[in-house]
Formats: sequence, C-alpha cells, structure tokens
Amino acid sequence: MKGYLGVDVGSVTTKLALLDENEQLIASIYLRTQGNPVNMVKQGLREIQKQISPEVEISGVATTGSGRYLAGVLVGADLVKNEITTHAVAAMQHISDVQTIFEIGGQDSKIIIIRDGVVIDFGMNSVCAAGTGSFLEHQAERLNVKIEDFGGHALRSENPARIAGRCTVFAESDMIHKQQLGYPLDDIIYGLCQSLIRNYLNNVALGKQIQPRLVFQGGVAFNKGIIRAFNEVFDSEVYVPPHNELMGAIGAAILVHEEMEIKQNHHKSNFKGFGVSDVEFKTSSFICKACPNLCEISQISGNGKVLARWGGRCDMWERVPES
Amino acid sequence: MVTVGIPRALLYYQYYPMWKVFLEKLGAEVVVSPPTNKSILNSGVTRGVQDTCLPVKVFFGHIIALVGKCDLMFVPAVTSLGKKSYNCSKLIGLPNMARALIPESPPLLAPEINCEKGRYNLYRNIYAVGRYFTSNPFKLKKAVEEGWASNLDYWNKMSDEKITPLQAIDGKLSTDVNASSFTVALIGHPYIIYDEYVSHRLISRLQKMEVKVVTPEMVSQEELDAATRRLVGVPHWLFEPEIIGAGGYYLETGVDGIIIVAAFGCGPDSMMLSIVEHRARESEIPLLPLSLDEHSSEGGLVTRLEAFLDMVKRRKRVCV
Repeated sequence: MKGYLGVDVGSVTTKLALLDENEQLIASIYLRTQGNPVNMVKQGLREIQKQISPEVEISGVATTGSGRYLAGVLVGADLVKNEITTHAVAAMQHISDVQTIFEIGGQDSKIIIIRDGVVIDFGMNSVCAAGTGSFLEHQAERLNVKIEDFGGHALRSENPARIAGRCTVFAESDMIHKQQLGYPLDDIIYGLCQSLIRNYLNNVALGKQIQPRLVFQGGVAFNKGIIRAFNEVFDSEVYVPPHNELMGAIGAAILVHEEMEIKQNHHKSNFKGFGVSDVEFKTSSFICKACPNLCEISQISGNGKVLARWGGRCDMWERVPES
Repeated sequence: MVTVGIPRALLYYQYYPMWKVFLEKLGAEVVVSPPTNKSILNSGVTRGVQDTCLPVKVFFGHIIALVGKCDLMFVPAVTSLGKKSYNCSKLIGLPNMARALIPESPPLLAPEINCEKGRYNLYRNIYAVGRYFTSNPFKLKKAVEEGWASNLDYWNKMSDEKITPLQAIDGKLSTDVNASSFTVALIGHPYIIYDEYVSHRLISRLQKMEVKVVTPEMVSQEELDAATRRLVGVPHWLFEPEIIGAGGYYLETGVDGIIIVAAFGCGPDSMMLSIVEHRARESEIPLLPLSLDEHSSEGGLVTRLEAFLDMVKRRKRVCV
C-alpha cells in the first residue's frame, strides 16, 4: 500500500499526517514543538511508524509550516509548501463549498478566501501575535486555568467582560483590572475569546469578503469559546472540520500525492525512511564575516555532514557541497 | 578638488545621474555611500527620529557612512515638483533633520527644490549651490542642462529597455527570466524596492521563483502621468505617479498579479495603496500588500510570497 506523509512544523506544535492512495487519513500525531523541531519531527516519525503496518510504503513526503525548510531537510521532502496553500487544499478537499477559511495557530492567524475552488485572497497577521493561540495560552496560565478547560469556562459565561485585545500587554492589565472588580472567571475567559475574535476580524480579516461556508481550523479551533464568539459575529455557522489541527499536514500530503502522481514512475520519493529518527542531527549557527551585513547563518548537520544552511542575505551559504 | 557625498538612499534612485553630472560638471568629485548593509541600517535606526519610516532612517545611516569621506554632503530638500503636488513632510525636512541628528556631518549642500514658489526661487536655490564651486553663471547653467539631460536619458533607458535602476546605474547584469509563464508588477517607492537590504532582495527572490518582475521605472513618465490622471485626477503627492500611476497602468495593461511594498508607517502610502487595492479588486487581479520595517522577518515575507505565487499560478491555470 502506498502512503503519503505530510509534516507540519509550526511554532507551537508539530503535526504529522499519513494518507493512503485514496487520501484517507491512516495515521497522525500531534506534538508540542517545545522549541525543538528536530526532536519533534524525529519523535513524530517514530509514532507514525508505530501506528502503521509494515506494508505501507511512503511514496511521497511534504513539509509545511514555519519550520518547513528545516523539516524538509530532515525527512527528505519531495515538496516544501507554505502553510496557506496546504490549509486551503485540505479544507477544499473536506468541504467542497468552502468560501472562507479562518485559521488560527500558535503564532499566526490567517484568513483564506476561496471562490470556485481557487484561493483568491488571503491575509496574515502582520506584526503582533495578539490574536493567536499563544495569546490565549498565556492568559490561561495567568488565570491558572488549563488551556483545555478554557472552552468549558467560556461556554458557561453569561455576561462576558469586555477586554481590550489589541495587545497582550494591555489585555493583561485590562484583565487584571476586571479580576479586581470581581468579575467571575467564566466571564473573563469568554471576554478574552471575544477580544481575540474582535482583534482577528479588525486586523487579519479587514476588508476581506467573508462569505459562507465558513470553516475554522488550526489548533485554536479546539477551543469552544472561540467558536461561540465566531458564531455570535456571523449569521451562518462556523464549521470546524474533524482533524482541524492536522489540516496543514493533510494538505501537504494531498499536494505531494498530486505531485507524485503527475511525475509517476519518473521519480522515487526522496523520503529518508523512518530510520531518520535514529540519526543524530546537530544544529549550530555562526556569523558570516564576508561582508558588513554579518548575517547569522544556521546550519544543520546529520552524521557529521552538513545538510543545509539558512539565514544569509545572499545565497553564498545556501549551496551545500554535495557528497 | 572638493568631494561631495551622495547618500545611496531615498531620491538617489531617481535622480542620481542628474546629481552626479551636475556636480561633476561644476568640478566636484562625487562619492556615493555603499549599498545599505547591517551597520548602515543600525546606525540609521539608532540615530533616526523614532517616528520616521525605515527608508528615512536608512538615509541617515548612509549620511553617517559618508562622514569623513567627503567635504560636503548633498541633501536636497525636494518639496514640490509640480503644481499643488507636494513631497512627504519627512523628505522635505531631510536637511533639517540631518543637521540636528548628525552634527558631525560635513556641511550640507541642501538646495530647496520647490516648483510651487516659481522659477526665480528655483534658479536662486540652484545658484546658491553653484557658488560653492564656481562664480561663472554660464558654467553653472551648462551643468544644470547637462545634468537634466542625463536624467532624461536615464529614465528613457529604464522604460525603453525595461530595466531597473540597479541595472541602469550600477550595470548589474539582468537576471530576467524569459521563460517565465507569468508576470508580477512590483509597485513601491524606488528607495524600497531597489534597496536590496531593506526589501530582502525581493526582485531577485521573485526572479528565482521564475516570475517576470516589472516595476514602475519600466513605464515611461508620460504613461505614468496619464494613468495617474485617469485614476485620481490631479495628484496631490509628488510620488503618486510611481505608485498610483504604475499600479493603474499595470492593472490596465494586464499582469498576473501585483505586489505592493510599503514602509511600515508611511502616511502617503497608506492612502495611495488603498486606491490601487480598490482598483485591483474591481479588475479582479490578485494583489499582495507587503509592509516592511526594520523588524521584518524574512520567514514571514517568504511565506507570503510563496502563498501569493501559488494563488496566482492556480488562478491562471483555472482561468485559461
């Protein structure tokens, strides 16, 4: 049996999804990146290998997410794709009539506008992470609530507190103020959800033509409070697909499936095999002194061999000596 | 011989050939600061006024880079070049800011170019510059005429041969991809899109992704002015032709996508961009706005570019 693997290395979580030839999900794993993408990709591969039967042959692998280039080198990707395209592809496969995708992840939030099966517009948060998962997580920590329980609290709220959501620092001082005034926890939590949505709509989604069907995906779509806040804003219901957290990885797998189908027989997958999880990878960085720009170059090596380098303003270091 | 320093920033990209010929004809030696690099950016950002945009801060960095290498610093205050059309206040105030922020700078050669104040005022200001070098008014007149002629040549060369200032001034080899299947118009101030450090090598990045890049400088002044008039009538900002005019021109002639690059916090751009954005939506041509400042990460930029090009490609495949 052939399998197609999608690896989504985000800022906060790492997701792997394995699809079969019919693009059905046969294995998946959702891990926290914990600032160590290399280890998480290795661990993810180990977990996927455990879940599948040995007959499955990996015929294509694609990486996506902010760590896509690093992950691409680690696993030997056939395709490295940005997260906007992969999210759109995955959503269109599951929900054929989707016109708007809200995607809120750990460090960034996006909106993707689709008409007739084609992405026609998109937006991403520009300078600030206020409207993202990290914001909620940080506030949950302050309130001493587990992020998993956040949704439940939000659903119980009757009179949500109005909290400024433009900036995490202001939101925090606003929230503390509301706590001192004696607002119940549920209302503060739902107020936070509302402020996140307000910020998202005024920022990322500004000027975009939002039309149903609305699909909400990404890790934050687990949060029932956010879904409630979304539904209060729009007339039509916001749909959360199953595996909302895996959509990026699924989209990558779909795209690599397409890619390998087109190339048929001409190319074998570059996949380095599950054995990669046993290879010792080392990341390091140095400062290039070739010109006054003093770029910080980071490099990754496996088994003592340099695999790839990044970070230069020019392509001097991008070419890696073969062999 | 007197050495005059020209910072490689802001209006340099539009008027350098004229300045160079003008100053050299007067008998000066011209020295240009190196292309923007990390230390230029850092020195400009630390010394610059907080409220100004990145290109203005970079300009100060270039002045600092020229300190000690020249006897005079050429910082013209270009206020107005046409009726009722003005430059951004931060560009008008450049000499004043430079004097206050970089006291160690050699004396500034800072003529005010203000066509609103009439011919006589313009002549007098240019004459004041000329007096540093010569007392012969005919020599000065000749220098002005030859300078202007060389700038007209420069503009014509760019629009005729479809090349960028980097190719026209520095003779950089054209890396244009002929085999590319689609064209993207890159709209923005020359001092942003041609400053490879500030723009993160946007043009060569796009070319590497097999995109044919066209820029405002590849359109003739007449066509830019005409497109501006069709879109907004009489321009209020001096650089409306290069943004609104170029945006309008490429929307009318048809490109596969438009990328607009602006400096974070630029007031005039925020208005001009929405005019082009609005027009792009009407003609259903995809548009990607990019905002750059000193904190811009390359990762975010690359993700946006990749997603935008994927979108343009997929759209084109469906439409054909």
